[in-house]
Parts: sequence; C-alpha cells; structure tokens
Amino acid sequence: MKIFLAIVVLLAVCSSAFGTQCNVNPVNIPKQWITMTHGCRSSVRQQIQMEVSASIQYLAMGAHFSRDSVNRPGFAKLFFDASSEEREHAMKLIEYLLMRGELTTNVTSLITIRPPERKHWASGVDALEDALKMETEVTKAIKNVIIKCESDRDGQGHENNDYHLVDYLTGDFLEEQYKGQRDLAGKASTLKKMMERHSSLGEFIFDKKLLGMDI
Amino acid sequence: MKAVYAIACLLALSAVSADVCYNEVSMECGRATSSLALPSCNAVYGNFGRQGNVANELQAYANLHLRRSYEYLLSAAYYNNYQTNRDGFHKLFKKLSDEAWAKTVEIIQHVTKRGGTMDFRSRSSLETEARESTLELQELESLAHALDTQKEMAERAFFIHQEATRNNHKTHDPEIAQYLEEEFIEDQAKTVRDLAGHTSDLKQFITANEGKDLSLALYLFDEYLQKVV
Repeated sequence: MKIFLAIVVLLAVCSSAFGTQCNVNPVNIPKQWITMTHGCRSSVRQQIQMEVSASIQYLAMGAHFSRDSVNRPGFAKLFFDASSEEREHAMKLIEYLLMRGELTTNVTSLITIRPPERKHWASGVDALEDALKMETEVTKAIKNVIIKCESDRDGQGHENNDYHLVDYLTGDFLEEQYKGQRDLAGKASTLKKMMERHSSLGEFIFDKKLLGMDI
Repeated sequence: MKAVYAIACLLALSAVSADVCYNEVSMECGRATSSLALPSCNAVYGNFGRQGNVANELQAYANLHLRRSYEYLLSAAYYNNYQTNRDGFHKLFKKLSDEAWAKTVEIIQHVTKRGGTMDFRSRSSLETEARESTLELQELESLAHALDTQKEMAERAFFIHQEATRNNHKTHDPEIAQYLEEEFIEDQAKTVRDLAGHTSDLKQFITANEGKDLSLALYLFDEYLQKVV
C-alpha cells in the first residue's frame, strides 16, 4: 500500500514536469531574451501583492459606506470603483511580467488573499484621508520598485538598468498615482470645508455629488 | 446563560412587533437630549440577520468569490506566459475571474442591502481546511479544476438557498432565495455545462488516434476557445 502511494505521489510530481498522456512535453527555446533581474522581478511581484491588498481594503471601504446605518452610496461607489482600479493595476503588472518572459513558474504564490486591516471609518473625511494615505504608500512602493529596477545586479553580478520597466512605471503608474492622489486630496478638502459648519448636511450633499446627482 | 436567553427572547419579541422604529422615534424625540440612537430603525427584517446563518453564509459566499476571482486571474496569467502560450485558456480564466470579481462586489452590496455588515473573515459551515494547491496545471487539469470550483460555487448557492427556504424554519428568507435564483443559479448551470462540455471534447481529442493527435488537438482546441469564450 505504501509503495503504491509513493508511486502515485511520484507520478503526481512527475506529471507537472514532464509530458503525460494528456499534455505535451515542455520545449526548450532560447532564454537570452529574458533579461529581468532577480531583485527587480521580486520587487514587482511584491508590488502586485500590494495592489491586490489595496483592492481588498477598498472593498471594505465600499462595504462600510453601503451599510444601512451609514448610507453613503456615493462614497460606496467611489471606493468600489477604486477597488476595481487597484485590481486592474495588479493585472497590468502581471501582463508586464508576462511580456518580459516571466511567470513561467511560481505563479500560484504571486497573490495571497488576506482580510482587510481596517473595516470602520468615523466619517467620509476619515475615509478619504485614509484612502489618500494608502495611495501615498502605494506611490512610495512604486518608487522603490523603480529604484530597485534602475540599478540591480544580474546573474553575473553586473550592474543592470531595466530602462523599459522604469519608464513604464514612471510614465504610466506614477502619473496615475499622482492624479489619483490629487483627486482624493481635492475631495477631502472640499468635504472638510463643508463639514466645518454643516457636518451632517455637508456629508449628505457631498455624497449625492459623488453619485452624480444634483440636489 | 438564562440572561442570554432572556435577551434573545426579548430581541426576538421586539423584532416581531411591527412599529419598533416608530416607538423609538416617539420616545426619544419626546426626551430633551440632543442624541437619537434609534437602534431599531435599520434595514434588518425577516430572518436574514436574526439567526445568523443566512447572513454568515452570504458573507462567506462573497469571500469565496473574492478568493476564486484572484485564483482564476493567476490561472489566466499562467496560460499567458510564453511557454504555455494558450490564449484561449487565458481568455477562459480571465472571464471566470472578471465574473467572480463582479459577483464579489454584488454580494457585498446585497449583504448591506439587507442591513448586514460585511465580514471578510466569514467562512461557510461547509468549508473545510483549504489545502495548498498549485494553479500551474496542464490543459485538461485546468479545465477540471475550473469545473470543480464552479460546481462548488453553484452548490454553495443551493446550500444558502436551502437555508433560506427550509419550511417552518427560523432561517426562511424568500428575498435571499429569489436573489440567488435570479443572479446566480441560472448562469452557474450554463457555466458548469460549458466547462463539462469542453472537458468532454478535449478528453476525446487526447485519446483519439492512440494519442498521436495530442499536440495538434491542444493547439486547435485553444484556438477554438479563443472564438467561443
């Protein structure tokens, strides 16, 4: 019985590495074109996980503002949309790794789903400021990926600058981050000014504005 | 224990009486305080939040969709690398991922529609310890995995539906039953059937002609998936 089990396990292990009756043998093609360095690759992988965690944190914000006792559908919409955007950022980075010949192995360990850290916000301003804080952290992390990929060492210990990835992150990702941060900061300021004199009415009106409703 | 029971009875009793919110409003507005608590003025009705099971199962259902959504995304990524290079399989898993993601948001919104709070830690009573498994599977295996997980989600909908419709039971909730029927059950039957159909086709191609058609069959089947997904 034990021997049988061992054979089954061995077969299961082998089937992923070699061809079986159901799949073709993996082929070998030249790999010189795959030029991403180890440190740069792992910092992009971490960034993907960070975008996924941000998407889940925004889901929690959307869920909070959807509650009957909170009742801010405009805020909920803003955060659910932000959540999908973070997921798209993760997808863009995955697409990038695939273009550069990555993700042939260790795909499963790329993303781990953890419950969000925070699930309650005292007010709309609180949530907008928290979102701004989170975006600032994401921006900082992207900058760190850029720094890593700008001067990493390749397998032979040579200095390597991944110009294209650095340009992509700087041009596409940072631009979107800065625009997003400015937008959140503007919203937080407007709302905070309204809240100073008319707290509950201010948030109510601002929420409907977020929904695109004129009242 | 008795005190807990008494409170539970009291809560149950207060929930049956029709105008609890109104009574709270009349009472609290009559007092000269500047705060209104009004704990009964909420969206909770029927058995959704009271017994906990349907509410908890629905939250767990959102969490299951969230997890599957990112797993399918990784499968889609795997089939898009230069070695596997199967664009049809990539599209199939990308679609499953997008659908599961949209459903995650929808279920969360439905939980709050019924006066609940979303708990991202909720697990279904059906859930067993999640085992570590790889998503880097070959073609037929990946279809089998997609089929199994889609069936799990479809059967979970049946389970919640059963909880919500058991006759004379304290979890009866026709709104949830109707929601599941309309938004999940019908589409799930189609997805499961499509995946089972793909599996049957691929199985035949693999064994046909003593396995000599294998590599061309996989290539053509992937081209076919690109068209139909």
